This record gives sequence, C-alpha cells and structure tokens, in this order.
Amino acid sequence: MPEIPAGGSAMLWVVILFLGVSLLLYCLLAGADFGAGILEIFMGRENRRAQRDIIDRALGPVWEANHMWLILMVVILFMGFPLVYSSVSTYLHLPLTAMLIGIIARGCSFTFRHYDAVKGRSQRSYTLFFIYSSVWTPFWLGVVTGALVPGGIDPAARGYLEGYVWPWLRPFPLALGAFTVCLFAFLAAVYLIGESPPGALRRRFARRAAIASSVAVAAGGLVFWAAERDGVDLAARFMGSGAAAACVVAATFIMPVLWAVLGQQWGWAARMLAGSQVTLILGAWFVVQFPILVKMGNGRDLTFFNAHAPEATLDQLGIALIVGAVLILPALFFLLRVFKSSESPASGGH
Amino acid sequence: MQDLLAARSQMAVSLGFHIIFASIGMAMPFLMAISHYRWIRTGETVYLDLTKAWSRGVAIFFATGAVSGTALSFELGLLWPKFMEHAGPIIGMPFSWEGTAFFLEAIALGLFLYGWNRLSPWVHWGVGLTVGITGVLSGIFVVCANAWMNSPAGFDWVDGQALNIDPVRAMFNPGWKTQTLHMTLAAFEATGFAVGGIHALLLLRRPASALHREAFKIALLIGSIAALLQPLSGDRLAKGTAQRQPAKLAAMEAHFHTENGASLILGGIPDLQEKRVRYAVKLPTLLSFLAHGDFHAQVKGLEDFPEKDWPPVLIVHTAFQAMVGAGSALAALGLAFLVLSLRRSRLLLHRRFLLAAALATPLGFLALEAGWVVTEVGRQPWIIYGIMRTAEAVTPMPGLVYPFLLFTAVYFFLAAVVSWLMLRHIRAADREFPSASSAEPAGSGSPLPEGSHA
Ligand code: HDD
Ligand code: HEM
Ligand code: HEM
Repeated sequence: MPEIPAGGSAMLWVVILFLGVSLLLYCLLAGADFGAGILEIFMGRENRRAQRDIIDRALGPVWEANHMWLILMVVILFMGFPLVYSSVSTYLHLPLTAMLIGIIARGCSFTFRHYDAVKGRSQRSYTLFFIYSSVWTPFWLGVVTGALVPGGIDPAARGYLEGYVWPWLRPFPLALGAFTVCLFAFLAAVYLIGESPPGALRRRFARRAAIASSVAVAAGGLVFWAAERDGVDLAARFMGSGAAAACVVAATFIMPVLWAVLGQQWGWAARMLAGSQVTLILGAWFVVQFPILVKMGNGRDLTFFNAHAPEATLDQLGIALIVGAVLILPALFFLLRVFKSSESPASGGH
Repeated sequence: MQDLLAARSQMAVSLGFHIIFASIGMAMPFLMAISHYRWIRTGETVYLDLTKAWSRGVAIFFATGAVSGTALSFELGLLWPKFMEHAGPIIGMPFSWEGTAFFLEAIALGLFLYGWNRLSPWVHWGVGLTVGITGVLSGIFVVCANAWMNSPAGFDWVDGQALNIDPVRAMFNPGWKTQTLHMTLAAFEATGFAVGGIHALLLLRRPASALHREAFKIALLIGSIAALLQPLSGDRLAKGTAQRQPAKLAAMEAHFHTENGASLILGGIPDLQEKRVRYAVKLPTLLSFLAHGDFHAQVKGLEDFPEKDWPPVLIVHTAFQAMVGAGSALAALGLAFLVLSLRRSRLLLHRRFLLAAALATPLGFLALEAGWVVTEVGRQPWIIYGIMRTAEAVTPMPGLVYPFLLFTAVYFFLAAVVSWLMLRHIRAADREFPSASSAEPAGSGSPLPEGSHA
C-alpha cells in the first residue's frame, strides 16, 4: 500500500472531500432517479398510470440538479487529478461511451415523455427508451468504477483486447455493474414511498423496496464472489480495517430495522435508513481503497497523493468548490423545500 | 477513416450539436423574462400564454443541452487525453466555476418550470432570470477555456511539461474578453432571429395572432440589438487574431503573400497551388485597416509560415465569408427592425418584412456554426496554439471511426426528434392558447388594425 505523505496540502483534503461527497450524493440522488426508471419495468398493469405520474412528479423538478454531481466529479477529476482522468478515459473508452449513450437516452426520453405536446402513441417509445436506459446507464457506471480496482488497466498492454477490453470485461467490474443497478432500484423504491399518497400505491412501493433490498444483498454477495475470482481480496480487506468492518456491521444491522420500517411504510425513516446504509457501504469502500484511485497493471497505482495537480491549481479548485457549495447548497435546499415539503401544491406565494 | 480524422469529426459533430442547445439555453430565458415581466406588470393573458408556450419548448432544449454537454465533458478525455492531462490543471478553473453555474442553472430551471403555482410571481420571475444569468455565465466560462486554447497563458512550457501554472492568468488570457463577448452576442443574435423568424412565419399564416405578434417583437428586439453590436465585437476579435494567431487570420482571408496595405478579399476560391484566390472581389488596403487599424500596415501572409503549420485554408476562408455574410444580412435586418419599431411603423408587420424575417430564421445559427469552424479549424494543426499539436493529443485507442459513427447517428436522430417535437409543440400551442389565433388588445399598442395585412 502506498505511503500517505504527512501533511498534504489542506486544499487537497478539501478536494478529496468534495470528490467523495459528490460520489455519495450522485449515488443517493441521481441513483434514485435512475432506479425509478428501473422500477417502471416491474410496474405491473394495475395503477400503472398513477405510478408513472408519481415518478414523473418526483423526478421532474430535480433530476437535472441531481445529475450535476456527476459533472462535478468529472471536473474535479480533470482539474485536480488529470492523470486519473486521462488514463481512465483512455483505457475505459468503451464502457464510458456506453454510459454516455445511456445518459443521453435517459435524459432525453424522460423529458420528451413529459413535454411532448401530444400524449399519443409516441409515449410508448419514450417509456421504452427511458426504462432500458435507466438500467443500462447505472450498469456501465458500475463497470467503470469496478474496473479501477483489480488492476487491469495497464499502459504497457499490447493489442486492442488487452488494452481496451479486458480491463473492464472481467468478473469484478461486471458484478459491480449489476450491483449498482440493484442498489439504485432499491433507493428509488424507498424514495418513492414518501412521494406517493398513503394507500395501495405506497404499500406497493414499500413492497418493491423490500424485494429490491433482498436482491441488492444478493448482488452484493455476487460482488464479493467476483472479487475473489478477480484476485481482489475484498472480504479480507473489509475485515482487515477496523473502520471498514464497523461500517459493514452497522449497515448489516440497519437491515432488520429497515424492513420493519418498510412494513410501516414510513417514508422519511426509510429514506434515512437506506441513505445511511449506502453511505456506510461507500464509506467502507473508501477506507479500504484509500488512497488509491486507480490500481494499475504496471504497479504504478494512481493515488490521491501522486496524481494530483500542482498546488496553485488545487487552491483554485478548492476555492471554487467552497464558494460553489456556499451558493449551491441554499439553492438546493430551497428547491427541495418548495417541491418536497408540501404534499399538495401550495397555491399562493411564500 | 483515419483515427485522428475520426476524432476530429466526432468533436466537431458533438460541439456543433451542443452549441445550438447551449445558445438557446443562454438566450431564451431572457426572452421569457421579458414576456413574463410584461404579464406580471400588465396582466394581459397573451404574455402569460407566451411565457408558458415558450417555456415548454425550452424545457426540451434544456434537457438536450444538458445531456450533450455531459457527453462533451467526457469526450474531451475520451478523444484528447494527452491534451486534458496537461490542460486540465491549467484551464480547469473556468470549468470548475462553470460547474457551479450549471448547478445553479439546473436548480433554477427546476424551480422555474415546475414553480407556476408554488412561487409568488416576482420570485418566480427572478428564478427565471437566474436561469438566464447562470446560463450566460456558463457560456462565458467555457469560452474562456476555448480562448486559452487560442491564446495560451498562465504557464511555462518546458520540455513538454507545463511548469509554474497560474490558473487565474490562464483563465483571464489575452483572448477571453473579446471571445466571450462575441459568443454571448452570437447566442442572443442566433436565438433571437431563429425564434423571431418562426413566429414571423406563423404570423404570415395567422396575421391576427396576438401571441405570435408579441413573440415576434420580443425575439427580434433582442436579436436586432445583438446583430448591430456583433460586427463591432467581431472587428475587435479579428484584431486580436491578427496579433496572436496570424496564420489563422491569413487563412480566414486566404491571404497568401505578406504585404503592406493588404486588400480585403470577398468570396472567391483559394487556389493552394498557385497561392492566389480566384474569382474574388478585392477591396484595396482594407484588410490592413481591419487587422491593424492602419491602411498601410503589414499583414502577414500564409507564405510566412511553414506549410505544415497552415490551417485548411479553403474551409476557414469559406466559413469566415459565411459568418460575415450572414452577420451583415442580419445587421441590416436588425437595423430595419429597430428603425421601424422606434417609429411604431405599420411596416413592421407588413408581409414583406415578415417574409424577410422568416427567411432569416437559420442565418444566425449558420453564422454561429461557421464562426466556430473559423475558430477551431483555423487553429489547426494546433490544439493549444503554438504549444501542442492536435495529432499529439489524440487517444491511442484504434477504431475511433466507430464511436464517431455512433455519436453522429445519435445526434442526427436526436435532432430529428427535437425538430418533430417542436412542430407538434407549435401546433398544440396554437390550439391551446386563445391568444395564438385571436387578436387580443396587446397593451403596448400595436398600431396594427386586425388582419390588415392578410
Ligand atoms: C451569430 C453569429 C455570428 C455573427 C453574425 C458573427 N460572428 Fe464571428 N463568430 C461567431 C459568431 C458570429 C462565433 C461562433 O460565436 C465565434 C466562434 C468563437 C467565438 O468566440 O465566436 C466567432 C468567431 C469569430 C472570429 C474568430 C476569432 C478567432 O478564433 O481568433 C472572428 C475574427 C470573427 N468571429 C469576426 C466576426 C466579424 C467581423 C463579424 C461581422 C459581421 C462576425 N464575426 C459575425
Ligand atoms: C462555446 C461553447 C459552449 C457554450 C457557449 C456552452 C454553453 C452551455 C450552456 C449555456 C449550457 C446550459 C445549456 C442548457 O441548460 O440548455 C451548457 C450545458 C453544458 N455544457 Fe456547454 N457550452 C459550450 C461547450 C461545452 C464544452 C466544450 C463542454 C465540455 C467540456 C461543455 C459542457 C457542458 C455540460 C457538462 C453541460 C450540462 C450542464 C447541465 O447539466 O445543465 N460545454 N453549455
Ligand atoms: C460549441 C461551439 C464549438 C464548435 C462548433 C466547435 C467546433 C470544433 C471543430 C469543428 C473541431 C475540429 C477542428 C479540426 O480538427 O479541424 C473542434 C475541435 C476541438 N474543440 Fe471545438 N468547437 C466549439 C467550442 C469548443 C470549446 C468551448 C472548447 C473547449 C473548451 C473546444 C475544444 C475543442 C477541442 C479540445 C478540440 C479538438 C482538438 C482540435 O481539433 O484542435 N471547442 N471543435
């Protein structure tokens, strides 16, 4: 494991913090938006229209803002860790392209479905694009993230397959892709409980959440299995670090509480619990990976400490992020307050 | 297809697509804010209808702009990893501010589109204006990055490495002011004339429509003001180009031989073998004046540069002519519009004038795309002018023609769908809003008696 140099610049830590928080918020918020599309596959015939309206209303005002956490991550990477950005985008060109196509298809089809002036037959096509791109995109997001771990990326590789395909077409990234899809579906179901009126619909989303959580746990098992196949001693690393182990244990103990809460259909409590679980899992992941960003096949891993930009750049990036947060967070809070606090649209002003 | 060519083409298609949506995203919120303001002030429903009709169309453009921009922020790395590796730390600063501006824009947009019954009228109006302000800021930030590629600053280039990086000086490089001004004006001009032209067409069909009349006036007002300022800003820009990128200026003008009192060439076909321009109109000494503010100044010709450092002359020259030609036409139209408006003349809604405006619909965007071709192709063979060649920056991955074909297909498909959606949207608005087909008294006093020019 690479050394952590004593006293890296303070701004480096600010930048790392923002990168981590952006990833977390992207998973929680945009993840739930993608998950809503996944859930539409399993919507069944009954109440279909009503369920879709709930999804439309829940995503409409916020999905573009939620999507911004991804842009923020990209900007932090190319300004703060340019070598990471350039290596990842060189060797993972194919899965990244697949993900981009999904991002384009999802955003457009969702908006077209809502804003097409004629609600006719074309709605079916928008919905098809919307639901399948909602599965497709998180899958490739997971694959790209997973490919950073087993050390398949190797600048010395010769040949197309070795250089551009095998780094991601292997057990661990593929399993992480599948897990990401399940996780996002779970987050969406939990999120939509609180968005639906009490009664049959709410019950339905609570049931979906319970099912999705079990599937996600199974997919999590798959990830561990795939990790062993891929030579990543994930289980040992999780257990080897006190903090990571504590996170995993806490996330596990939340499970029964969450199920109980789902039984009661308590929207906000379920959100908090599910959010904490994902935070704990990502936290554990962060701890065992730290400070490696990309494990490289040639042994020269890219870390937070050897791949960062010069001091002057980090300072500017840190300032922009801090000022940005001061401007964005109140605005985001206002957005959520306007759309999420009142169940029924307020008629009048504030 | 060669990999480098495929990468360049993919970049061109992606940016050429994104810029349309980005420009609409910059300018439309201001058009809507004018109409929205008038509604709140006068309470006339035509303005409410117009604001709502516009905002529904705009929602589609916004989403398409956002996803194509996301694709771009990855494509910079997917296609030009070596460029980003060096440029990221230097020029990331405007991008990081752009991130903030986008974020605020996305939040404000959600509030605006879904806020009709939830926000008080003035808060709602302010939120709409915020969408426009943050949109323009985003555009300015990203063009700062582009200006840096044209006039690199804020670092020392030593043995292929950037040292002593100063992100602030890089962002505020010598080209940033002129280029961002020109781009911002272009967005307003292109959007103003495109929107105004479409409403002019609809007015020709339904002369009584109050909605289309007000829309036409608001859009053309914005477009015309921008169109009159644009040649001034273009002139400033060209002077900077003459100073900092003389080879680009020479290619724009197809100016082969260095001379004093150089003439301005209009039209014509550059002949690279014979180093002259066929069939062109020459205006003596004018190029020297335009480039350096002095009729006798020396203007460097392409012959002063090694041929391997020449940009593709034919493309750059043609694109420049197209931009200036379209810009001049729009400036004339804009002048006519402003004069007629100030005089409150009836000719403003005369069939002939509406027809001229309708014919001008694509000109602004044509100029805008042509201008970007001038800038980007004119920078070749450099990706960072004088520092790094485009060929050095391209990704080593073979088979780039496939991603190029894929993205091209996706963008053409999307463009077709968006156009089709707009047609449906316009038809639906005609049905839904009474003011679209009837003449409502429109306060600000149209002198037009109903249907007089039908
Ligand atoms: C509505 C669009 C539009 C119109 C009418 C014009 N332009 Fe333009 N022009 C642009 C839209 C544009 C642009 C697409 O926005 C560019 C590309 C990069 C930039 O910042 O602006 C541009 C670039 C550009 C450049 C290249 C600068 C460089 O790369 O160094 C020059 C010299 C001019 N313009 C000059 C003019 C002149 C003299 C015009 C006279 C009418 C004019 N433009 C009209
Ligand atoms: C002259 C060139 C450009 C201008 C004027 C411009 C301007 C804009 C504007 C105004 C928006 C908001 C659009 C909307 O909401 O409809 C936007 C979106 C976006 N642009 Fe561009 N852009 C340009 C080029 C680029 C480039 C080169 C990149 C990539 C590095 C990029 C990345 C983005 C991204 C990521 C978004 C999405 C933001 C969101 O989700 O709202 N843009 N651009
Ligand atoms: C949105 C308006 C823009 C359009 C229509 C546009 C168009 C183009 C075109 C046609 C090319 C290919 C040039 C060639 O290889 O011959 C290109 C290349 C490129 N552009 Fe732009 N561009 C725009 C804005 C920007 C901005 C704002 C940036 C950067 C922040 C940018 C960065 C690049 C890069 C990195 C390349 C590839 C390298 C090169 O070919 O020099 N472009 N663009």
